[in-house]
Amino acid sequence: MRQIVRILLFLVSAAPWAMARGATLSLVVLLMGAALLGLSGWFITASGLAGIAGIGIGFDFFRPSAGVRFLALGRAAARYGERLLTHDATLRALAKLRVWLLEQEATRDAWRLMRLRSEAVLTRIVADVDALDGIVLRLLLPGLAALVTHLAVFWTLGWLVGWPMAWAILAGYLPFGALILWQLGRRGLAPSETAEAEAQTLRRGLIDTIRDREALIVRGRIGAREDALLDIDRRAREAAKALDRAERDAGLLLTVLVTSVAGTALLVGGWLVGSSATGAAAAAIGVFVALALAEALQPLRRGFAELGRMAGAARRIGADIAPVARLRGPSATAGADTEADSIATGAPVLALRTSAIRLDLGSGEAAAITGPSGAGKTTLLLQIAKLLDTPLRDGEPAIAVLGRQPRDWDEAAFRDAVTLVPQRSALLRGTVRSNLALAANATENDMWAALDAVALRETVRARGGLDARLGEGGSGLSGGQSRRLTLARALLRRPRLLLLDEPTEGLDTVTAAQVLEGIRHALPNAAILAALHRGWGHSVFGHQRVLRLPPRT
Amino acid sequence: MANGTVDREARKRQLAQARIIAPVRRELRTASWLSVAAGLVWPLQAALIAWVVSAWADGAGTPEQTLPAIGAFVVLGVVRAGMERFAGGILFRAADRTIAREREALIQREARNPSAMGSASIAAIAVQKLPLLQPWITRYHVAMTRVAVLPLALAALSFVVSWAAGLILLISGPLIPVFMALVGLAAEDASRRQMREISSMNDMLMERLSAMLDIRILGASARAARDFETRAESLREKIMAVLRVAFLSSTVLELFAALGVAMVAVFVGFSLLGELRFGTWGTPLTLREGLFLLLIAPEFFQPMRDLAAAWHDRAAGFAVVTELDALDAAERVPLVGGGTRTAPLEGELTVDLSGAVAALPGRDIALPDLRLTAGQSLALTGPSGVGKTTALAAIAGLVPLAAGRIAVCGKPLGDATADPWRARLSLVPQQPHFPDETLAHWLDPDGTGRDPWPALESAGAHGVIERLPDGLATRLGETGGGVSGGEARRLMIARAALDDSDLILADEPTADLDAETAGLIIEALRRLQRQGRTLIVATHDPALAEAMDRQTQMIDPAETGA
Repeated sequence: MRQIVRILLFLVSAAPWAMARGATLSLVVLLMGAALLGLSGWFITASGLAGIAGIGIGFDFFRPSAGVRFLALGRAAARYGERLLTHDATLRALAKLRVWLLEQEATRDAWRLMRLRSEAVLTRIVADVDALDGIVLRLLLPGLAALVTHLAVFWTLGWLVGWPMAWAILAGYLPFGALILWQLGRRGLAPSETAEAEAQTLRRGLIDTIRDREALIVRGRIGAREDALLDIDRRAREAAKALDRAERDAGLLLTVLVTSVAGTALLVGGWLVGSSATGAAAAAIGVFVALALAEALQPLRRGFAELGRMAGAARRIGADIAPVARLRGPSATAGADTEADSIATGAPVLALRTSAIRLDLGSGEAAAITGPSGAGKTTLLLQIAKLLDTPLRDGEPAIAVLGRQPRDWDEAAFRDAVTLVPQRSALLRGTVRSNLALAANATENDMWAALDAVALRETVRARGGLDARLGEGGSGLSGGQSRRLTLARALLRRPRLLLLDEPTEGLDTVTAAQVLEGIRHALPNAAILAALHRGWGHSVFGHQRVLRLPPRT
Repeated sequence: MANGTVDREARKRQLAQARIIAPVRRELRTASWLSVAAGLVWPLQAALIAWVVSAWADGAGTPEQTLPAIGAFVVLGVVRAGMERFAGGILFRAADRTIAREREALIQREARNPSAMGSASIAAIAVQKLPLLQPWITRYHVAMTRVAVLPLALAALSFVVSWAAGLILLISGPLIPVFMALVGLAAEDASRRQMREISSMNDMLMERLSAMLDIRILGASARAARDFETRAESLREKIMAVLRVAFLSSTVLELFAALGVAMVAVFVGFSLLGELRFGTWGTPLTLREGLFLLLIAPEFFQPMRDLAAAWHDRAAGFAVVTELDALDAAERVPLVGGGTRTAPLEGELTVDLSGAVAALPGRDIALPDLRLTAGQSLALTGPSGVGKTTALAAIAGLVPLAAGRIAVCGKPLGDATADPWRARLSLVPQQPHFPDETLAHWLDPDGTGRDPWPALESAGAHGVIERLPDGLATRLGETGGGVSGGEARRLMIARAALDDSDLILADEPTADLDAETAGLIIEALRRLQRQGRTLIVATHDPALAEAMDRQTQMIDPAETGA
């Protein structure tokens, strides 16, 4: 619940004006609806009375009938505006939420960022963001509008009809309506969360089963797996059924509530008219308004039924965007340091003091790390690149870039100095140009030079130049070509330290040598550290610069 | 041409109707009539309200005098609510049964008989799209029945009271479908576009998130966020442009409904005042009649508004059925045998292929003749795409034969022998796949409780487990995150070593691995052979092929033909 409130506050503050406009129009629609029915009831009853009394000619029918027409048309128009403005507000707020999500995720460590490549995680995040639109559209705006409408109606009825009528309607709707909806939210909380969770489990399970089909069939387990999936489906549908029952019960109770309040209004009206406290026409307003107020209540049903789903989504998204588990920022002692100081002290670009490796790498130097898979090459590169927290070794930093631990660096300054090309890089849908532009505001010449360095100039030219289009995940290029494009992108950063994780993977020997040469040539002053399982004998690295990580056992 | 398209569309809709709606037709009919009955309760309630209020005007409306009528009004309201709740229950169960049936069919078919469709798309259909059938089933049919009955019934009632009021409704009513059709066509198209825009916003978010590691490394986090913001803003503007049209159709409906009600109200008011002296059957309109007309007029329009909303549900339902049909029509690989657990096939282990041709959808693949006896090891070599993986699958009974034969343990491999045969073998696929379960359960899915460590040891995978923070309790999940490619292969070999299979089929176990790691895998496989297992590996790694007893080269028939 607290998470819902937190997300709610975020969404409201993300687009306060749009929210206010949407809320105002929601209110206008409800008020006009109540006024329309009330006025119509009054107009007809008063006309009837005037007709009976034979004073039809003297009765001012012009203003009420114009009022009825104005309210009828105005309400339809306001309803149109309301739907547009509330959707607009929700879209604005959710766009802000998505941006915030991106900004927060950008500060997470490498493992988390790699998990973000899993389709299951992505689908979950997207589904959660979508679930949150109900918080605004089906809870906040209609809830606020309903509450204010009830209060406004209360004062108006008290003034026009009499306080007993106003109290009868308010005391009927407000506590009992709130009770019914609260009960619905409570009863639906567990099933709506279960239904959502089981649906996700089913989705993952189905993907697993299809991808693992051969092993499952060979082991004779496919039937058991299908039964397990059907069980998950049964649980999901069980939960959906419970939720549906809760929602239908609430629907029944709300209809009964509306009928009872209208019945009460009829009783109170009869008593007011009988005791001559009010005229019949004024009392009719109470009855008709009581009926009209059903419109304020019914839309809230959906919102409260989905409370569990929204709460789950809010909790997970809230956890995703909570500023926890980040890498630490600059420590207090390092605050006074500047980059210039470090360079003045003659610190190497990279200094490693781990249990397996001691290395000082200066400008223009290159080194290769080798070792069997699982030895920790990737982890070491990620630690150097400030994407995983670095361990201290005997109180001494095991890793120093330009004389400072990665964690003591300011993020932006560090990214300017150090670039990593990870083993699995991602390209974005768009053009070659837009992918390269992600690295820096480079000129066209710089881009071609970078493509040249990784032997990609001809490929890109053949595809129509820098504006050649790439599909989702950079599809359209072969594995080796994508690899080289990510290398070119890294070159455009012009880093002082370039970290490469298996840069020649997927390249044939000739191209691999050409690319390594090209990189060295393009960044003559950079320090280069590469993790390689083959090709480490390349002259770029020099034999004394090959470091082996022993296998981890 | 256009006519043909229309016919095909109509035919498709008929089929969809037959598939989804026909089996629950009876429930839908019951629920619809219950709902219509509930709708017909309202005029009774309206009459009671009208009577009570007009009694006030007559000075005969004290609570004591009106209590029976008010009581009846409340009781009717409870009856109406009860009927609606009951009808809702019937509808929910009908939809639930339909979705469960379709989902069960998908679950029991997609893994046994794979098609070209990706697992993520199938999962999306089964989990996200099938539920879209629910609103179609629960809302559309009921709304249709209500539209067919309620407006006419209410107009008739109005007509009985006052022909003019009835006429107002009868004139404004039919106008609605006309305008709806005009605006609705645009709106339907618009709402489809809206769905596309919204999903492209989500695609954009997913793509950015999945590239977040690169974005951060390139120091582009802030820039990427701003860029996303700009694009989200322009998407919002596009969506709003679409919504402005989409909401028009319901606004037109509401406008007509509002106008109709207002006209009835004004007519009634003026009649009561004596300004209008026509429209009734002789006697002037009474206050009671006037109130009654005013109360039932909005309900005249309500069923049409419900139907307008349900129209989109039906369109969404049709779209889902189209996808289901496409999936039904997809070409599939049949499974030999049933994929169930049985006792292992009796007899000395032999594998014998002669003239076998594997039948894949759309093409046949000739398999090499070969003969293998217990304890031997064999490497299938040849260029990529020649069918090495298919050969392994055919030996495991995962792909049927178009010609020739495969004999296992001296018996022909067929539906009767496939399951017992598979109980004697295990398969190490090229792409490691780790489901979302613990490694302990993954290694020993039958829960035999045997010690996995000797098997892990002989596969050279014990170090892998020890390095994982949660050991055997680790869940590797979808991408096997946390272990490298070589480690994943060693885990798969450990799993093969752990069950008592005599024959291990391994598909490219050393692909994409460095020489050192490949050496570890080759060593593990040889160790298994020394323990008495029989091996068939598909590979183009010379080192692995050398390590096997024999090699069989597969040749591309296209090459030999040339």
